[in-house]
Amino acid sequence: MTEPGPLAGASAGPVLELRGVTKRFPGVVALDDVSIRVAPHEVVGLIGENGAGKSTVLKILSGVYQPDEGVLLMRGEPVRFRGPRDAARAGIGIVHQEQSLVGSVSVAENLLLGVEGRSVRGGFYRWSELNARAERQLAKIGSKISPTARVNSLTFAQRQMIEVVKAISVEDHAHAEPVVVFDEPTSVLAGEDLETLFGQIERLRSRASVIFVSHRLDEVLRVSDRVYVLKDGRCVAEREPGSVDTKELYRLMVGRASSGQYYREEEQGTFDNTVDDAEEVLGADGLTLRGRFSDVSFSVRRGEVLGIAGVVGSGREDLCRAIFGAEPVDGGELRVGGKRVRFRVPADAVRAGVGYIPAERRFEGVAMGMSVAENILLADSSATSVGPFAVPRRRAALVKEWIDRLRIRTPDSGTDVASLSGGNQQKVVLAKWMSSPKLRVLVLDHPTRGLDVGAKEDVYRFVREMCAQGLAIVLLSDTLEETIGLSHRVLVMRDGQVAARFDAAPGAKPTQVDLVEQMV
Amino acid sequence: MSTAQVSEGSESTAPASQVPAAPAAPRLSRRLIAVIPTAVLVLLVLLVASQRPSFLGPTSLRTLLEGAAPLLLLALGQTFVILTGGIDLSQAVLASFGTVLLALWLPIGGPAGALAVLVALTLAGTLNGLVCAYAQIPSFVVTLGTMGLWAGVALAVSGSSTISITKGYDTIFWLRDLRVAGLPVSAVLAIGAVVVSAVLMKVLSRGRSLHAMGLAERAVQMSGTRTFRMRVLAFSLSGLCAGLAAMVLAASQFSGAPALADSLQLPSIAAVVVGGTLITGGIGGPLRTLVGALLVVVLRVGMSVAGVPPSYEQIVYGTVIVAAVALTLDRRRMDIVK
Repeated sequence: MTEPGPLAGASAGPVLELRGVTKRFPGVVALDDVSIRVAPHEVVGLIGENGAGKSTVLKILSGVYQPDEGVLLMRGEPVRFRGPRDAARAGIGIVHQEQSLVGSVSVAENLLLGVEGRSVRGGFYRWSELNARAERQLAKIGSKISPTARVNSLTFAQRQMIEVVKAISVEDHAHAEPVVVFDEPTSVLAGEDLETLFGQIERLRSRASVIFVSHRLDEVLRVSDRVYVLKDGRCVAEREPGSVDTKELYRLMVGRASSGQYYREEEQGTFDNTVDDAEEVLGADGLTLRGRFSDVSFSVRRGEVLGIAGVVGSGREDLCRAIFGAEPVDGGELRVGGKRVRFRVPADAVRAGVGYIPAERRFEGVAMGMSVAENILLADSSATSVGPFAVPRRRAALVKEWIDRLRIRTPDSGTDVASLSGGNQQKVVLAKWMSSPKLRVLVLDHPTRGLDVGAKEDVYRFVREMCAQGLAIVLLSDTLEETIGLSHRVLVMRDGQVAARFDAAPGAKPTQVDLVEQMV
Repeated sequence: MSTAQVSEGSESTAPASQVPAAPAAPRLSRRLIAVIPTAVLVLLVLLVASQRPSFLGPTSLRTLLEGAAPLLLLALGQTFVILTGGIDLSQAVLASFGTVLLALWLPIGGPAGALAVLVALTLAGTLNGLVCAYAQIPSFVVTLGTMGLWAGVALAVSGSSTISITKGYDTIFWLRDLRVAGLPVSAVLAIGAVVVSAVLMKVLSRGRSLHAMGLAERAVQMSGTRTFRMRVLAFSLSGLCAGLAAMVLAASQFSGAPALADSLQLPSIAAVVVGGTLITGGIGGPLRTLVGALLVVVLRVGMSVAGVPPSYEQIVYGTVIVAAVALTLDRRRMDIVK
C-alpha cells in the first residue's frame, strides 16, 4: 500500500486503516489481504453477503480478534488491540446490531457503565454528578432523552440513539475524534426511525468518522462517501456513490449477474398445478402457535421445494421449528405422508421421517467433539444395526459412502467434526439426514448461512438431488434470491400469517420485489 | 511510522482463540488424559509395595478390593450422570438411606425386601432425573436438594440410630463371605457391572448417547435422540448403583445406619474425575472409573502406610478432585467458567 505523501500531515491522513489484513480460522480464510482506509469526517460503507467477512472486520476493529497478518493503524500509528477495552481507548466505538444496553437501569448508568470514574465515591454513585455527565454526553448529538429514564421504557430507536452516544463517548479516553462503527443498524428499523438514524449519521460527520456496515445496498449508497465491497474474505471493489448504482454493487457483491444457473433451475422439476399429479408428503392445515404464527396451511409434494419468505418476526422460523417438533404447536393439523402426526419433541419428527438442517449449525447441527462418523450416524442407526446392536462393518461402509458422495473433505472419518470448515460441517449434517432410509421431509433452515460460494453451490446441488429422489423440502433462506432460485413454490409470511403464495416454476419465477411487497 | 513497530504489529499470534484475553490455563491433551491415570495407578502401587511388600499379598489385596466395591459401584453410577454433563450429589446419602431401608425391610421381606430397596433407590434416582430434565433445573441444584431430603428421611426413619440386621441377614450375607476364584464376590460383581456397562456402550447402536449428550446436547436432541429420557436414565442408573452399594455396605456392617455411606460421596466423584472422565461430560466411561476407583483406594492405603491420619483423607480427596478437574477441563468449550 502507498504511504501517505510527504505533504499529508497527521491530520489529513486516514484516521483508521487496515493494511493487508488476513485472518484465518481452522479451514477458512475469513479475511484475505484486506485493506480499508477511513479519512477524518468520512462515512465509509462496508457491504458484503453473509460470510463475506464483514463481521470479522468488525471483530478486528473492536479488539475481539487480532489479525494474523497485516496491520491496523489508528491515526498513522500501528496498534494492536488485546480486547474491546483497547479498541475503545483508541477511539473506536461500536453501535451493535443486537443492542448492548442493560434494560433495568437508567440511561445515565448505561452510558457511564465501566467508566464511572469520579461519579463513584466509596462504592456509591454520586447521582447528580453521574446524571450531569450523561446529560452532557446526550447533548452532543442533540438528544432530549432524560438521563434518569429507565432504558426499558424507551423505544427501539431511542435505545439505538443511546448506543450511538455510548459509541461516541470513546472520544473522552482517546482524546481524539472517534470512529463510530454501525453494525447492520437498519435491519430492524423502518420508516421514520430509519430517517432519524440517517440524520444522526449526517450530524456525526462533523465530529467523527463513520463506518457503516450493511447488506442493504440502497441505504449504503445513500449515507456513504465511499463503499468497500467484501466478497469471500477479499475486498473486491472500492466505489463512490456517484459512480455506481445498486445493480453494479450487487454484481460486485455476489459476483454474477444472473442467478438461474447458480441455483440449477434447469434441474428443477416441473409440476402441473392444475392437477394433483404428485402425492403430498408434508401438509399443514391451520397450524397455530400462539404469539408466533396462526392458521398456516400448505402442502408440499414429492420432489418439491417450498420456500418460506418473511422478515424477522414474521413467524417463519418458528413455523420451521414447529414442523420438526422443536416447538410444540397449539393447534391445527400436520400431516406426513397423508397421516396425521403430532410432534412433541424432535425425536417424534425424526421417527416420522422429518429431518432438519438448523440455522445454528455449530450448536444444533453438528455435535462438536464427536467424530465425522458419529455425526453421520447420529440421526438414524436402523440401517447399520441388527436389533439394538451396531454392526461396525455396516457403519464404516455407510460413513465411507456418504463421505465420498458428498465429497466431505476430512482427514478421516474419526476426525472431530469441530476441526472441519463450515462447508464440510454442513455436508456432515446433510449426510446425517440423507443417509437415513426413512427420510421423507427435510426442513432447511438457512442452509447456506456462513458458507463460502463453493460450499453454497454444493448445497444447491444436493437440494436438487434430494428432490429427484422424491423428498419434500421446506426452505428458509438468508436471501430472497436463494428462496426464489431454489423453490417450486414460495409462501410469504407476515406477522405470523400467510400473506401470499407464489408459483416459482423455472422461467416464471416471481421477482424479489413481488415478494418484498407482501413481506412488509 | 517506524518499521520495527509495523513488524511487531504484523506478528501472528496463537491461532483463532475466540475468547478475548482469556488466561491460558494448563490442560492435558485428550490422549494424555486417557493414559495418565493408569500410569499413576501403576506408580502408586509400586510405591506402596516398595514401602510395605505385604501390600501385594493376597490378604491385603482382598481387603483392598472388599473396601473398593461400594466405592466403585457409586462411582460407576456417578459416571453415567457425569458423562451427560450433570452431577449427582445425592448418591452417597441415598446409599445410606438404602442401608437403613435394608435393615428395616430384610426382616420383613427377605429377598423381596432387598429387591424393594433396589427399586426404591432406582426410583429416587429417577426422581432426580425427572426434575432435572422436565423442570430444567441444573442437576447440581436438584441433587443438592435431594441430598438434604434423603438424609433427613433416613434420620427420621431410623430414629437417628444404627439398626442391626438380625432377621433376614441370610439374604445378603453372601455379599460379604462368598469368594469367586479367591476374590470377594462384591468386588467381582462391581467390576462385572463396570465391564458390562462398558461393553454395552460399545456394542449398542445408541450406546454412546450419554457421551453425545455431554458433548453437544442440543445437536443430539435435534438429531432425534430423546435427550430427556436419556438424562432420566442416567440418574435412574445412578440410583440403582446406590442401591447395590447399600447392599454391599449393609452386608459388611451387619447393619444399616443413616450416614453409613455419606463419607463416600467425595471419593466416588474423585474416582470418576481422576479416572479421566471429564467433569463437563462427553469424554470418559466406566473403564476409566475403574482405574480411578482403584487409584482412590490405593491412595487410601498409601496414606495409612505413610502415617497420614484417616481424618485427613477427605482433605486429600477434595484437593484431588479440584486438581484433576483443573488439568482436564476444556475451557475452550465453555463461554464463561462459573
